Amino acid sequence: MDNLQDILKQQIIDALNLEEIEISDIENDAPLFGEGLGLDSIDALELIVLLERNYGIKIKDPAVGKEIFKSVNVLADYVSKNRTK
Amino acid sequence: MNWVRVRKDSVVINGNMLATESTGQAMLKEVYKKCIGDYPKFFKMDALCRLGFVASELLLQQESPRVVNTEHRAVILFNRSSSLCDDRNYQETIQDSDNFFPSPAVFVYTLPNIITGEISIRNKYYGETLFAVLKQFDAREIHDIVCEAFLDSMTLDVITGWVDCESDDDFEACMLLVARDENNFTPEFINEI
Amino acid sequence: MSEKIVITGSGIVSAIGNNRQQCLENLKNGFSGISEVRYLPTVHHEFPVGEVKLSNSQMCDLLGIGHSQVYSRTTLMGIMAVKEALAQAGASDTQNYMTLISGTTVGGMDVSEQLFSQGMSQDDCSNCIATHTCGASTNAIAAYFGDTFNSTITPSTACSSALNAIILGSDLIKAGLAQMVVAGGSESLTLFHLNGFKSLMILDTEPCKPFDEHRKGLNLGEGAAFVVLESETHAISRNAHILANISGYGNACDAFHQTASSPNGEGAFLAMSKALSEAHITTQDIDYINAHGTGTPNNDQSESAAIHRLFDDKVPPVSSTKSFTGHTTSASGSIETVISLLAMQEQFLPVNLGWSTPMKDGGIIPITESRKASLSNVMCNSFGFGGNDSSLILSKYTK
Repeated sequence: MDNLQDILKQQIIDALNLEEIEISDIENDAPLFGEGLGLDSIDALELIVLLERNYGIKIKDPAVGKEIFKSVNVLADYVSKNRTK
Repeated sequence: MNWVRVRKDSVVINGNMLATESTGQAMLKEVYKKCIGDYPKFFKMDALCRLGFVASELLLQQESPRVVNTEHRAVILFNRSSSLCDDRNYQETIQDSDNFFPSPAVFVYTLPNIITGEISIRNKYYGETLFAVLKQFDAREIHDIVCEAFLDSMTLDVITGWVDCESDDDFEACMLLVARDENNFTPEFINEI
Repeated sequence: MSEKIVITGSGIVSAIGNNRQQCLENLKNGFSGISEVRYLPTVHHEFPVGEVKLSNSQMCDLLGIGHSQVYSRTTLMGIMAVKEALAQAGASDTQNYMTLISGTTVGGMDVSEQLFSQGMSQDDCSNCIATHTCGASTNAIAAYFGDTFNSTITPSTACSSALNAIILGSDLIKAGLAQMVVAGGSESLTLFHLNGFKSLMILDTEPCKPFDEHRKGLNLGEGAAFVVLESETHAISRNAHILANISGYGNACDAFHQTASSPNGEGAFLAMSKALSEAHITTQDIDYINAHGTGTPNNDQSESAAIHRLFDDKVPPVSSTKSFTGHTTSASGSIETVISLLAMQEQFLPVNLGWSTPMKDGGIIPITESRKASLSNVMCNSFGFGGNDSSLILSKYTK
């Protein structure tokens, strides 16, 4: 549970109230949006808030969010490159 | 005419008590898990929405067959506290200037009518939706506004009732499904529930 | 056929004026009221807003209210608009008779915020929020007018609240449950919803551009507007001057998403269709559509799709006057109804400011040049989060 992928998964589960989902249910490469977890546009906005609060990453354009929320791997990569805290 | 009443410590469906082991939010969750399930969005809802959602699901489970995907069903709900409960939660996200992260997911639920929307989305109801805040519970006023909704010839039945959530663990909902020609729908009947 | 519901008075307070006359002049001249924030104590000066150009104490002075009394901005603006509407209808002296229906969502939240910023603790602030739910602002408006109103209702269907107030008022009269109704809505800007809309990432940092390919989002606005509704018989019996009649309306649910409209505009389509069928007219009879047109990518695409589905290739002139007033959220339905009424009375088409580039996916081309036009039937759209979509048709009154 030390790697960034798993930390992010837990933060996503907490932030989005995914009560019936466990870290092991989320594949590193699976799409976060669309079918998988059943997330929607409000969840995407909530994830943008999560990135700012936990990692100091400010995203101004929701379209950028769309790109980086493709999968946990893509997100972890983005966070490790751009985090300020 | 089917009806349900959900209070912080009891659930009654058409006069029959549903056995529950918990109270407050825990009870809503218990009822969701025992009787509803398969709608993870439930966990994202605020307390008012969870209350209205659980009540509507229990109500619609009484209907056979359950009507979905229709323009002919209206959803008209009332309360006194509006979205107060979630307003407090959202205020907390913007309270502290050093920890200022307005939450979009919480903000959405500061609109009380999101519950009429949630019920419509769940069941694909395209009819009239209305949420109105009254000074206090008033069976006559609720009765009159529902009768008025039938002026629209499209509307064949109405899910209506009172869904009030003062705090996470102090709430009350009563919900009924009223058909256009329902003779028993009177202010007295609403009061008895 | 049931009796006609007529409008005999109207009142409006918005970013483009504190009364009907000022709003009318600015509409005709194409002067927008959207500018840098001045009255709301926010750090977010990057977002232009449509503020009413009066401080709360100036409004108190205009209304003869002592400064010691705490009135929310929502209440003060509401009182101003109701007062103007009652005066026009010649109904200022009626006693214990009318119903007040005021759509709002934020209610007295602005007062809660002020008290908090003055050093109130979190608990006190929460308690204060409790006394400032949206119903309280309606009751406070009614209280100002003494015995005029005998009941109040506060529809809260997000941004379509005020239009639903007018619909509800018309239904009350049709059903014989009220004789005269003052219906509309009032909503002030608050930090609460400015930050909320910011978090939804749908605010534009420039003046909004409804229906433009490069639209980035909405500008929040504030204001209040009310109309006096009564049956035709009732209006005639008291020799009231009839301004227009409400010939049809529809309220439908998009049943798609809490905050997003469906790509094909199902709810909007159903609401407009219902309104037309109730008015017993066809799409060809509509002379102008005052669109919901918020300037967000999602709304304008969805509303365009719905209008095209209904009107096919014969779309009447359309504009979004939110480019003048900002998106006045819960009050927008009544503000735009009064704007539509002014357009009918003065026989002109209000323009859509800020538009220059057509949407790539075949969106609505709004009118950008103001012109004289004889308007017999005007459609006014108002959609809200929760998929709560409504549409109303105003018609030129003939006996």
